[in-house]
Amino acid sequence: MYLNIRPIFSALLRNRTGAVLVALQIALALAVLVNATYIAKQRIESINRPTGIDETNLFAIDVAGFTPRYDYESSVAEDLAYLRGLDGIVAATATCCVPVSGSGNSAPFFRKPDRANSSEVNGFLYDMDEQGLETMGAHIVAGRGFRKDEIMPPMTPENMERPIPGIVVTQLTARQFFPDSNALGKTVYDPFGRPTTIIGIASDMMGTWITREPRGIIWIPARPLIFGFHYLVRAKPGQRDALMRITAEHLAQSNVNRVIKSVHSVESYAKSLFLTERVTAIFLVIVTALVLAVAVLGIFGLAIFNVSTRTKQIGTRRAVGARKRDIIQYFLVENGLITTVGIVVGCALALGVGYWLSLHYQLPRLDLYYLVGGIVGLWALGQLAAWQPARRAATVPPSVATRTA
Amino acid sequence: MLAYNMRLAVKSFNRTPGLTALMVGAIALGIAACVVTMTVYHAMSGNPIWWKNDRLYAVTLDNWDPNRPSDPAHPQLPPSQVTYRDAMHIAESNIPLRHVVMHRDSGVLTGGVGQTQPQSVSTRLTTADFFAMFDVPFLYGGGWNAAADRGPDPVIVLSKQENERFFGGQNSVGSTLRWNDREFRVIGVLDDWAPHPKFYDLTGGPFASSEDVYIPFHWTEVLQRPPKEGSHNCWRMEPANSFQDYLNADCVWLQMWVELPDARSRERMQAYLDNYWAEQRKTGRFQRPRNNRLTNVSQWLADEEVVTTDDNLLIGVAFAFLLLCLINTVGLLLAKYLNGAPLTGIRRALGASRRQIFAQHLVETAMLAGAGAVLGLALAALGLWGLRALYAVQAEFGASGLQQLARFDIASVVIAISLAVIAALAAGLYPAWRVGRLPPAVYLKSQ
Repeated sequence: MYLNIRPIFSALLRNRTGAVLVALQIALALAVLVNATYIAKQRIESINRPTGIDETNLFAIDVAGFTPRYDYESSVAEDLAYLRGLDGIVAATATCCVPVSGSGNSAPFFRKPDRANSSEVNGFLYDMDEQGLETMGAHIVAGRGFRKDEIMPPMTPENMERPIPGIVVTQLTARQFFPDSNALGKTVYDPFGRPTTIIGIASDMMGTWITREPRGIIWIPARPLIFGFHYLVRAKPGQRDALMRITAEHLAQSNVNRVIKSVHSVESYAKSLFLTERVTAIFLVIVTALVLAVAVLGIFGLAIFNVSTRTKQIGTRRAVGARKRDIIQYFLVENGLITTVGIVVGCALALGVGYWLSLHYQLPRLDLYYLVGGIVGLWALGQLAAWQPARRAATVPPSVATRTA
Repeated sequence: MLAYNMRLAVKSFNRTPGLTALMVGAIALGIAACVVTMTVYHAMSGNPIWWKNDRLYAVTLDNWDPNRPSDPAHPQLPPSQVTYRDAMHIAESNIPLRHVVMHRDSGVLTGGVGQTQPQSVSTRLTTADFFAMFDVPFLYGGGWNAAADRGPDPVIVLSKQENERFFGGQNSVGSTLRWNDREFRVIGVLDDWAPHPKFYDLTGGPFASSEDVYIPFHWTEVLQRPPKEGSHNCWRMEPANSFQDYLNADCVWLQMWVELPDARSRERMQAYLDNYWAEQRKTGRFQRPRNNRLTNVSQWLADEEVVTTDDNLLIGVAFAFLLLCLINTVGLLLAKYLNGAPLTGIRRALGASRRQIFAQHLVETAMLAGAGAVLGLALAALGLWGLRALYAVQAEFGASGLQQLARFDIASVVIAISLAVIAALAAGLYPAWRVGRLPPAVYLKSQ
């Protein structure tokens, strides 16, 4: 097919400004589009990354005893008995920390007793009892979970140096300890250098906050520290909100030496933890959509103008034998030429911006698939925007050529 | 003349309503995106105690692991908090005009007038200078002195909100309350005070609320327990058999600030820190390179990255979008003005000067930009409302700061107006100039 590019091109050169402005828009739109969607995609991925936790059914009750009459052991036993006895509850445990809450404990464990010469493995620490794993929604993939008789009283200054009989770790942590062999039953060393045994390996799950490097979980069979702990409760599907209300009311009344500081769903904690990512993603998606809309409407508006200013020329062309499809083709080819120039400039701009961002903000380098997607998308949208005005141009009757205006 | 030009502009808008709407819409969207991001940025990047920026300094020392920095992402920075032993030693220096050592805890408040339910309250344990140093406003009474701090005396300062809750907003100075079941005497009630970012303690996030109550720092030793809130970081494990061991550990968990009024006192304080560092180094501590810092508030907020990468990104995207909208408008305006060239030709032929033609078109653009700014402000208000809805989840956790700050305020309006002016100039100058230069004869001939 002969596209008549040369005459279209020389016509464009005679009226450059409009074409340059459209090309600039395309270039800018491409640069924003490609980089914004790429960043938005990363943010959405981190929001949606599987936590491995039964997030939707979990809630946490923050409790604080505040009088000398508050007895930790009996109070925790009583509260857990109450929680576990409720209809609609799968499991409940006392815990130092709430998953994905942004606050918790982390410490290194070691492969050898001599920590100076040993590789260390950082893990999020959870002091939990025999229902801890089930509460969080972890599956044992090897070995076993804790037995009731293994659960140690909370750590105090006096008993700090007691040995930990056995720990459960996530698969990631097991791999970090022993990349080449099965970690189950192996001995590792706690931060004080005391030996302990890996008695169980659980499915991977997210810790209490987001780390740069992958970090797993180490469960310790103990009651949490007296100062600041939570009950973590796993409800049956659909029962969470009702149970949050019921338990908060009951626990507030059942012991006058203690207050319920807060009751939050783990879903809320997670939302709060990923808030920046969520805001960024939503903003970028909205602005990207607007960029496309504005660019397309701009092309559309300019094309309509072009058609109306060239009515006479179109009429003349029609009068000397151009068919309707020749006119349509003329406008589409013209639009295609401008868009292509814009896209070429836009590619350079997009890559430049992407490179600059990766340099200054430690963002990953732009994925070229996004660039290809942006090019194809913008080109198609550009043609689409020019289509209707081109059709309108084709309806100009040849008789226009004979009129004076 | 202006009124005449405006009438011409309205006529022109009426000739091409769709196009006018498109241009106003594009300008409005571009301005709205910028106003939303700039309003949030303005809130985040604010310095809530700017008038003391060069007097207040955060004290930090690098006591960390000889083999690795405290924060691998920022290896040049020492830990952002200090150890108990270092804080206690540095607090003995009389070089600073004022100094503060503090941390955050939580407690339970009971008592007051009437039957008030026990209330969990965030609590700041701080040395006496806190209130004077950070210009904390009092509604009633005042803070405590150094002697009361050393006591420690059972004195408590309430936030306005807790005073409302426990005393119905009355002057409660002299009344007693129970904090964690110990009797405390109210000696002061604060007025509204919520600096954002919460520069003096960023461990709970820059937009965390200020504490509900304040008690003397040395209750820390009396309570004989680690705080329930805040951030406690150790680089090595040390056996702790008592609370004293806990206090003496090489762990950072206290915020320390000093007020140094002039360059001379800053130099002396720096020398004091370096001297202390050298002494301690001889005993085996501080094996990392010397990195004792006195950091003023604005640098502190920058070091702690209160404004995140994402905030900067969003501003960049918003401005790129505005630029796109402006280019769009330039293109459309140019086409429109050139399309109206025959009319302009007639005006020129009847005696209008180039300047008048230029003014006419500039007025038209300014009106477009003005309408865009008004619509943009409305859209920005909508966007900020949406943002607050997103931030609501943080308010659930006591960090309502950002939600309060993502508000349509005078700054937003100023930003919008300046952007509109820039938009009008950027989008209108060239097309107005182009159309003013058209030779009228050409267009008159073809009529």
